Amino acid sequence: MLQDIRKSTQGTAAKVVIGLIVLSFALFGIESILVGGSDNSIAEINGEPIAAQELQQAVDLQRRQLISMLGDNLDPAMLEEQRLRPQALDSLIGRRVMLQHAADLGLATSSEQLGAVVAGMEQFQIDGEFSPERYRSLLASAGYTPASFRNALGEDILLGQLQAGLLGSEFATASELALNARFLAEQRDVRYLTLPPLEADVAAVSDEAIEAHYRDNPEAYTRPESVVLNYLVLTAEDFFQPVDEAALQEAYQLEIGSYQYQDESRVSHVLLEPGSDQSKADFQSRVDEVQSALDAGRDFAEVAEAYSDDIGSASSGGDLGFTAGDAFPEPMETAIAELEEGAVSGPVETDAGVHFIKVTERRSGEAPDFEELRPMLEQRLQQREAQAALLSTVEELRDLAFMADGLAQPAEKLGLELQRSEPLTRDARGEGPLYARAVLEAAFSEEVLEEGHNSEVIEAGPEQFVVVHVAEHREPAQRPLDEVREEIARTIAEERAREARLAEAEAAAEAIRGGESVESVARRLGVDWQVELGARRNSPALPRALSQRLFSLPAPQGDASVVDVLLADSGEARVLELVRVSPGSLEQMPAAEQQQLRQQLRGEYGQTLQAEQRQGLRERAEITVL
Amino acid sequence: MEAYRTEEEQVEALKRWWQENGRSTVIAVAVALSAAFGWQGWQRYQESQAAEASTLFTQLMESAAAVEEGAEAGRFQELAATLREQFPRSSYAQFAALHEARVAVAAGRSAEAEGDLRWVLSRADTGSDIHQVAQLRLARVLADRGQTDEALTLLQSGTGYYRAATALARGDVLLQAQREAEALAAYREAQALLSEYPGQLQVDTLAAKLQLLSAGLDTEQEAE
Repeated sequence: MLQDIRKSTQGTAAKVVIGLIVLSFALFGIESILVGGSDNSIAEINGEPIAAQELQQAVDLQRRQLISMLGDNLDPAMLEEQRLRPQALDSLIGRRVMLQHAADLGLATSSEQLGAVVAGMEQFQIDGEFSPERYRSLLASAGYTPASFRNALGEDILLGQLQAGLLGSEFATASELALNARFLAEQRDVRYLTLPPLEADVAAVSDEAIEAHYRDNPEAYTRPESVVLNYLVLTAEDFFQPVDEAALQEAYQLEIGSYQYQDESRVSHVLLEPGSDQSKADFQSRVDEVQSALDAGRDFAEVAEAYSDDIGSASSGGDLGFTAGDAFPEPMETAIAELEEGAVSGPVETDAGVHFIKVTERRSGEAPDFEELRPMLEQRLQQREAQAALLSTVEELRDLAFMADGLAQPAEKLGLELQRSEPLTRDARGEGPLYARAVLEAAFSEEVLEEGHNSEVIEAGPEQFVVVHVAEHREPAQRPLDEVREEIARTIAEERAREARLAEAEAAAEAIRGGESVESVARRLGVDWQVELGARRNSPALPRALSQRLFSLPAPQGDASVVDVLLADSGEARVLELVRVSPGSLEQMPAAEQQQLRQQLRGEYGQTLQAEQRQGLRERAEITVL
Repeated sequence: MEAYRTEEEQVEALKRWWQENGRSTVIAVAVALSAAFGWQGWQRYQESQAAEASTLFTQLMESAAAVEEGAEAGRFQELAATLREQFPRSSYAQFAALHEARVAVAAGRSAEAEGDLRWVLSRADTGSDIHQVAQLRLARVLADRGQTDEALTLLQSGTGYYRAATALARGDVLLQAQREAEALAAYREAQALLSEYPGQLQVDTLAAKLQLLSAGLDTEQEAE
């Protein structure tokens, strides 16, 4: 076989092929065959892959944003992978499509542009100056490398340019402004009266009416499907045991031995190192010189700066930081232990040379006494031991629940109390382990609900485990009439009150159409009436529903006004009379409002274009989700 | 292919091959090399051109923001002119012209805006994103200049990306021409298209026009 290979590589064609391969490596580098063909892509947009890892990053980002946006109000179900993934993938696809479009248009960024943007970002500045350390540490904490960050930033710039160029150049012409002002600044004069809701007369509703309503609206009085569960709960507290006194003592000793209760001294030193070409006598005379300077009361920091051979500490007054008795060589620590705060030692010899030591600060770490720490230690030990017992019992329960038909036997074996729940619906909400999403999902699963098996042992909360068994399955059912009788009576009475109000309002409207004034009708009925002149669309002076209705009425023709009736869900009725309509005019708008209208029109065109651009590009892209 | 028995024979064969094919091999390699280097050089040139245009465009956007804040428009116009003269084929030059049109419209110089938009139309590929937007805006500027029929012709073709925006503009032009029933139909088309897009677009002016127009037209029909 080797002979064959040798033969076939000697042909001219083979040589040419090899030559070409050599040439292509030389010109384009080895990346040309290594890049691409990644196996872990999850989607392809016009042939360009999206890596699984990219999607994961997008999901993580979204999760972080949700957490920081919603904080404690967050429903944990919102953070589930299955829910976030499709959204994240969708936005990744949208972004990639736009980036490809930007590339098609020949948009590009230069490294100078990127550099300028990075240098200008306030997050990376300290006192107004760009700080490379801050840049790197911020990137690292956000999960970027400088290269991936510049890449993402470059993409953002391209997308920004595309938007600024095409959509940011939107405008509103003078005639469009005039036209829209005519509608948006239209003014309407209205008079209206308000009939408050009538009292619902529940007692007047007959049994026959209730029964008929109950028959005619069965779906309104149906109880949803529910289950009653038998269940066992295991928590760490179940396993709390009195703690052994000896173990407590041991834990106390360990605790007070830890660093936070030890004495600490902050020390400074002057170090003299014997030079290799220095005679013993010369070195001794330097030691003496320092000694006499210190004896003469010269400031220790000054002496350190002038004499110390420890260049690390000399400029900061000889400061070495804190020691709890184990940071420095033995002779130094002995000397430190003997010194008063503020006192300076004589010469102390170590392998490094001769030290003069000063204790600049002393922190005493007085250990609390046993009784003080007792509750904390007791709880800690209990917790630790209970945890181990809990987990092993959970394992045992898993086996038992899997083997047994119901929960009575496992409960008996483990000495647990078999409990029974209230009826629970699929989306029941409440406190306690049974209301955890995972538990309810298990209770309504095919295995548990239909096949009657025990559920798995589910972790319903921190150190809280539950196993459930369906004791009773209640199908959706019509609620008995007696249970809903009052509810129905109220519904009927309220509906009757609304109808009565509406009839009164219609009569009032008819009277106004016949020429009676709103004021006179209101007085006759003993209710309030109002007038609003020159009301604008969305004017806060009018109730919202009223304003909505007012501006969807046709303009009055000639002298005849337009009268209408409005009935709210609460049973309150309004009769309104539209007296006059005056079209808006751009000239009469204040300058600020004109400017606002211009921005509004530009914005509306801009966002419409943006939505259509996204849609159009996506429709034309070839998108495969793998 | 024959097998060679000794080293000498191999060397001999190579020499022979070289004499026969050497010249053409050298030429082929030289051509391949110069093509590759030429292609790389061309690409580098293109990239540097695009990067330069990109930098100019960034500066243009900064000066446009300054103009909004009340600065003189001189620097803005200078940058836009440079982009259009030095990089006439780039998208950045077309963006610049679109922005010049915006500034001209805001200042009431609609003839100038028309010129800018026609410049974009003459350079952008027909059917491209930029072409469609420029055409839509040209129609609106023409309507502003009173050329309703030309505007409506430009707004007829509804095959591009921007069908809702086009219908919206058509409604405005028709309404200016007092053709209210047709305007209402165009607005309703725009509304229907918008409601299909994800993200619930709020176009308040459209809602207002729809509400008032339909109230007015319904009564007219009743009167008839």
